[in-house]
Amino acid sequence: MALINLTGIQPTEFEVLADDASPSEGATVAVPLARLLEAEEAFFKSAGSVGAIIDTETSYDALAAVADKIAFAVIDFPAFGDGRGFSLAVRLRKDYAFKGEIRAVGPVIPDQALFLLRAGFDTVDAADERKAAFEAALERFPAFYQTDFGGQVSVAHTRHSAEGQRKAS
Amino acid sequence: MYAYDTFDHAMVNARVAEFRDQVERRMTGELTEEEFRPLRLMNGLYLQLHAYMLRVAIPYGTLSADQMRKLAHIARKYDKGYGHFTTRQNIQYNWPKLSETPDILQELADVEMHAVQTSGNCIRNVTTDQFAGATADEVADPRPYAELIRQWSSFHPEFSFLPRKFKIAITGAKTDRAAIKWHDIGLVVKENDEGEIGFEVLAGGGMGRTPVIAKTVRDFLPVQDLLSYLEAMLRVYNEQGRRDNKYKARIKILVEAMGVEEYARQVEAEWEKIRHIPIDVPEEEVARIKAFFAPPPLAVLADDVPAVDELAGKNFIFKAWLANNTGAHKVPGYANVTISLKPHGGIPGDASDEQMDLVADLADTYSQSEIRVSHEQNLILPHVAKKDLPELWQKLDEAGLGTPNAGLLTDIIACPGLDYCSLANTRSIPIAQTITERFDDMKRLMDIGPLKIKISGCINSCGHHHAGHIGILGVDRKGTENYQILLGGSGGEDASKAAILGPGFDEDGIVDAVEKVVAVYLGEREEGEEFLAAYRRLGPDTFKEAVYGAH
Amino acid sequence: MAKKITGPQLILANRLDDGRAVFLTAAGAWSKQVAEAAVANSEEELTGLLSVAQAAEVSNQVVSVTPVAADVSGDAVAPAHIKFAMQSKGPSVRSDLGYQVSPNWE
Ligand code: HEM
Ligand code: SF4
Repeated sequence: MALINLTGIQPTEFEVLADDASPSEGATVAVPLARLLEAEEAFFKSAGSVGAIIDTETSYDALAAVADKIAFAVIDFPAFGDGRGFSLAVRLRKDYAFKGEIRAVGPVIPDQALFLLRAGFDTVDAADERKAAFEAALERFPAFYQTDFGGQVSVAHTRHSAEGQRKAS
Repeated sequence: MYAYDTFDHAMVNARVAEFRDQVERRMTGELTEEEFRPLRLMNGLYLQLHAYMLRVAIPYGTLSADQMRKLAHIARKYDKGYGHFTTRQNIQYNWPKLSETPDILQELADVEMHAVQTSGNCIRNVTTDQFAGATADEVADPRPYAELIRQWSSFHPEFSFLPRKFKIAITGAKTDRAAIKWHDIGLVVKENDEGEIGFEVLAGGGMGRTPVIAKTVRDFLPVQDLLSYLEAMLRVYNEQGRRDNKYKARIKILVEAMGVEEYARQVEAEWEKIRHIPIDVPEEEVARIKAFFAPPPLAVLADDVPAVDELAGKNFIFKAWLANNTGAHKVPGYANVTISLKPHGGIPGDASDEQMDLVADLADTYSQSEIRVSHEQNLILPHVAKKDLPELWQKLDEAGLGTPNAGLLTDIIACPGLDYCSLANTRSIPIAQTITERFDDMKRLMDIGPLKIKISGCINSCGHHHAGHIGILGVDRKGTENYQILLGGSGGEDASKAAILGPGFDEDGIVDAVEKVVAVYLGEREEGEEFLAAYRRLGPDTFKEAVYGAH
Repeated sequence: MAKKITGPQLILANRLDDGRAVFLTAAGAWSKQVAEAAVANSEEELTGLLSVAQAAEVSNQVVSVTPVAADVSGDAVAPAHIKFAMQSKGPSVRSDLGYQVSPNWE
């Protein structure tokens, strides 16, 4: 597997915690959201750093309880067409001001690279042979029609800034 | 008309380059068909029975003469010399090669057109009134708002993989010619008591196997909040729309399941959170876009033109054409002309490359180089001086484009059906052809008056049969083509769902059934009563008896 | 694994590049002419044809491989269902287009 870095963040190195295991002292672990919702404070304290594995069935309300306790989030796409993953990332950034790494795992495709970046993802787990296609796709569009949660401003705004007017003419 | 700036050009060109790369990766096998399918669909490319089909957007149904010439050129160079105008203000080509579609898209991009999001589970081409900006009965031209939505919805990072397709329609007129209540989101431009412009917002309309008429979510949405409100509507749908069953994935099912009040509550709650994030565009941007749609500078002319009356007095066909195919313009002395793509015995919505070229030339001469496409599969020349009508009609008539049947029984909407479509149960086009041949008498048609027949070759309802005054639905009966008749639908501001009258018929039987239904109407109607009103008054039983009773 | 069939079958697909409807022949090639289609009369034969067809799908020659019921009378073979019969001819409302014009219509 290759790790595609969309934003240039320092990617988290983590282990996926086995279902019945407890985190070892100071470890960086990814844990299914359902388990985190049940977990005591001590669980978060004992691990060095905890991330949530979020499936696309998750309602964004459920993120409220953990958003300020997790250091990173792993959004698991069951299929690349499951667009709920994009809204989950948007919710984390927008409603919970989540600043940590958001990673996409599952069968997302290179052609979604910019969508992922712009919805708030930092990194993607992808098959090695797709790394080049992911990187090429990131370069594809020079401007965007939406203000997004990855820091891009819609051309509707740039058109009327001094900088934008220079470019548009 | 809207004109691209360097940003728009850059994005559409980037999209073409992206698709070219995707096609190459598909041809080499780097992309599987499963992965490629949603990507090609988002560029309007389907696979049908005989070949691929490319669906090109005509945003809000407005075209320039040069764009129309480009459509003709594409039909000639890459296709078989014709195109099919659809109920969603698109044009479809039926024979493009996969390897040539990137070139077609590049040619389109050169004239500021595209096929972006004309299919797939994303926000589709925004449709509107074909007379927008030219009709006497509108509050405001809806097209600047449609363009705002077009831009906001193009390549949307969060809403490109929705549970299902998503169609938005907008009207600025009291008479709804855009079937907004049959859309996932319908917008009606209106003025509030303070004289401000805004929108009534409806959601949850749709056809398919579960026809639903959209319900009002908000009575008045100020213009400046349009995009943030749409974003909230889409987010709630993207998160909660069903993904386990594609027949239950449209927003209509979600809105029915949670209730429109609850859907509205969730939308409003989300909107409150985002309305101050700059999703909406600055006022200068709205003004910039609006300026492109400024009404053409038309000098007021005399509304009464003796030469027109004179020809109408001598020539019944011209008189019929005036009555049916021309409509009131905002400016005195002008008319909006509907060019019927429904010649009797012909294929509804099809136009040859030569006809497209001719319409482009006529637009240059008579309609400020502007052309419109209607959801009823016709073309429109807006802003035509009344004094030019006789000459224009003669030129149209010579080219087979003068059929004076707009709004009448033979102005039939029909989907491609089994002649092209791989999802079809039955053919649709031959039914339209037989009906229009059977009713090929203008005097009789004029006497019958406004009557909308809409035909779909399967329950997907691309031919809007649920909204037909008379709807016809093709079903598969043990491997043979069978047609059901439905009555009482409407796509207008008085939207209603057509109801099935009874058992289906074969190809000849369905045409007889239509004839019987029309006979009941003619026998029962009251003074000045149109078909739909008569049906609503009489109810189905009288019609049922006439169609099935005699057996 | 053998597929359950109730009568003769042939294999229909569309070419990847131009999308044209094509029929699998006994030689494992793809023809525009339904007359050249290989007919499977048993489940084993159908499985054999399908594996050839699917290999062509994997090697990106065709898409949408579909086994369809065939009507066979003497030497003549045609898809039984109207939809697939339409694919072997072209649109019924445009007799100037499709294989109904000529077997090698482009
Ligand atoms: C020929 C290839 C076509 C295919 C494969 C196709 C496919 C479909 C499908 C699957 C649906 C149902 C979607 C749903 O209910 O969720 C649908 C609906 C629709 N299509 Fe098509 N279609 C085709 C052509 C057309 C054409 C030519 C038109 C315009 C004349 C059209 C306009 C529509 C409209 C208006 C609907 C109904 C929208 C609604 O359900 O609210 N389609 N189409
Ligand atoms: S209604 Fe059915 S037959 Fe007609 S175009 Fe749509 S999917 Fe095809």
